[in-house]
Amino acid sequence: MKQTARIISTYAADVSGVCSALYELGGMTVMHDASGCNSTYNTHDEPRWYDMDSMVYISALSEMEAVMGDDEKLVGDIVSVAKELNPKFIAVAGTPIPMVIGTDFAAVASMIEKRSGIPTMGFSTNGMHSYLSGASMAFAGLARRFCLGETEKTEALGANILGLTPLDFSVNGSAQDIKALLEQNGIEVVSSWAMGSSLEQLERAGAAHVNLVVSYAGLETAKLLKERFGTPYVAGVPVGREFSSLVVQRLYSAARTEENAVAYPKKARGHFDGVIIGESVMAHSLAAAALLEQGKNLRVLCPLEAEKELLGADSLHVHDETDIAECLAGERLIVADPLYKPICPKDAVFVPLAHEAFSGRIFRRDIPDLIGRGLNSLF
Amino acid sequence: MMKIAVYGKGGIGKSTTVSNVAAALAGQGLRVMQIGCDPKADSTTMLHGGTRIPTVLDLVRERKDDFSLEEMVVQGFGGVICVEAGGPTPGLGCAGRGIVAALDKLAEKGAYEVYKPDLVIYDVLGDVVCGGFSMPMRQGYADKVFVVTSGENMAIYAAANIATAVENFRDRGYASLGGLILNRRNVKNEQQKVEELAQELGTDIVGTLDHSDLVTQAEELGKTVLEAFPGSDMAQQYRDLANSLLQACRKGGDKG
Repeated sequence: MKQTARIISTYAADVSGVCSALYELGGMTVMHDASGCNSTYNTHDEPRWYDMDSMVYISALSEMEAVMGDDEKLVGDIVSVAKELNPKFIAVAGTPIPMVIGTDFAAVASMIEKRSGIPTMGFSTNGMHSYLSGASMAFAGLARRFCLGETEKTEALGANILGLTPLDFSVNGSAQDIKALLEQNGIEVVSSWAMGSSLEQLERAGAAHVNLVVSYAGLETAKLLKERFGTPYVAGVPVGREFSSLVVQRLYSAARTEENAVAYPKKARGHFDGVIIGESVMAHSLAAAALLEQGKNLRVLCPLEAEKELLGADSLHVHDETDIAECLAGERLIVADPLYKPICPKDAVFVPLAHEAFSGRIFRRDIPDLIGRGLNSLF
Repeated sequence: MMKIAVYGKGGIGKSTTVSNVAAALAGQGLRVMQIGCDPKADSTTMLHGGTRIPTVLDLVRERKDDFSLEEMVVQGFGGVICVEAGGPTPGLGCAGRGIVAALDKLAEKGAYEVYKPDLVIYDVLGDVVCGGFSMPMRQGYADKVFVVTSGENMAIYAAANIATAVENFRDRGYASLGGLILNRRNVKNEQQKVEELAQELGTDIVGTLDHSDLVTQAEELGKTVLEAFPGSDMAQQYRDLANSLLQACRKGGDKG
């Protein structure tokens, strides 16, 4: 059955990706949706919800407002709340209902900005894509809007970390450990998009010599920053001792050559010992680290949005449950979120690697910090 | 690149007018792209011998994303680049949303960058009845909206309604009203009624077309008047209208 998940879970939707990307930056994010639907977002997709304040709202779109196309109510409500809260920016993100009635988010954003005087971005999310697509839109929107002026480059090698959200990295120290690892290697972290950085730090992104793309969500922004400031990017998550060193080396060489790079190998690798399922940059990085440190040759299966440049020659890029199950048949070792286990062969060795964007809070406490604690925390 | 959208009451002659204007401008050496935004998908038929062409939404329905830009496009008379947005199964789905999806798909496949038209004309179904039908006037699409009307009351009401929608959208950065096109039906006081409408709307009549049997004859041949009767007075009227539309666009500035 195509486009249906009968047994396994589905990934967090694009609107959650927008909220997650913007959560820490002092903006006000409004999901344009019927009231009640926000629990999916705050309960399952946002681990910072109970510990960190953020201005995330739902518009409480009513049936008649949808039928009548009453954008005026949405605009008026947001402007009146924004005047009280004075956020640094406003973001409005769509859901399935506005998609069906063809709401023009760029126009809505322009109306809000004219009336409130606050920079406003509209994102045409529609719930039909994954969190990566939404986070990617949000990061790119920030870059277009806030990374405008020329910035003096840092004295030491400066880097931005792009594509960092709890939906891929949870809140388990991973974000801090990526930063710490770069700093230990003499790299100044200009900004981290977007965990542990302020909007003002993001605005200085042009000061970096190189960008580290840690998920597909950071790729579009990396391309924009390359275009605007000439900053090259390296894709890879610094997991495991040996692969981390490689990532650091690649950052230095990319800064020197000004050429973009992918830190993990992409060539065909022949016989595989097993499969790892996940987001493209993270899964390929883990596969590279597992090969370097443990001699395990893992093939990547990416069920999410990814670009060809991020995928290995042998990687599987499939989305539907039936296709994924077909790919897994006969595999002896599978590394994946525990909610994939029911479609895995019974005799395969299953290594659970919970992914917040797939299983939400169910296994949150078991999500390892692979950057700080290395691969031993997984295998 | 100039982009215009043409609206007006159903049956008022939008597609005929647009196709003839497209053919006239193509004859002057301009690269014109005509995009039919009507589920009936019959905007460009007179530019390619009265035949039907595959619509963008037919391709999406049958092949998802597995088709090329070239498959969405047919080169018609004079090299006019013809596209039909198409629509859902009649009586089902949402035609307005279909227009949004089709125009998004066209942009996603790089239609404007690849064909680099000097002028894009969106020929839009009847009235602005929902969000989807305002898509062609949204930012990034048309810069100017032209409304085809006759002196018939229903056509005038529809024209006024469309102009009101354009006015309402002003703070959204949408297209502005470029003017009215009077397509004569020879009703009483026709010129005066449409002039009054233009005055009320604060706009101009940018061009006038006579009622002519040649238009019907050309249509029966599956051709534009420009192709079937290029030396006729009617063909010249379309050429004059085409030049007036260009002038009205240039007056408002080319937003590129």
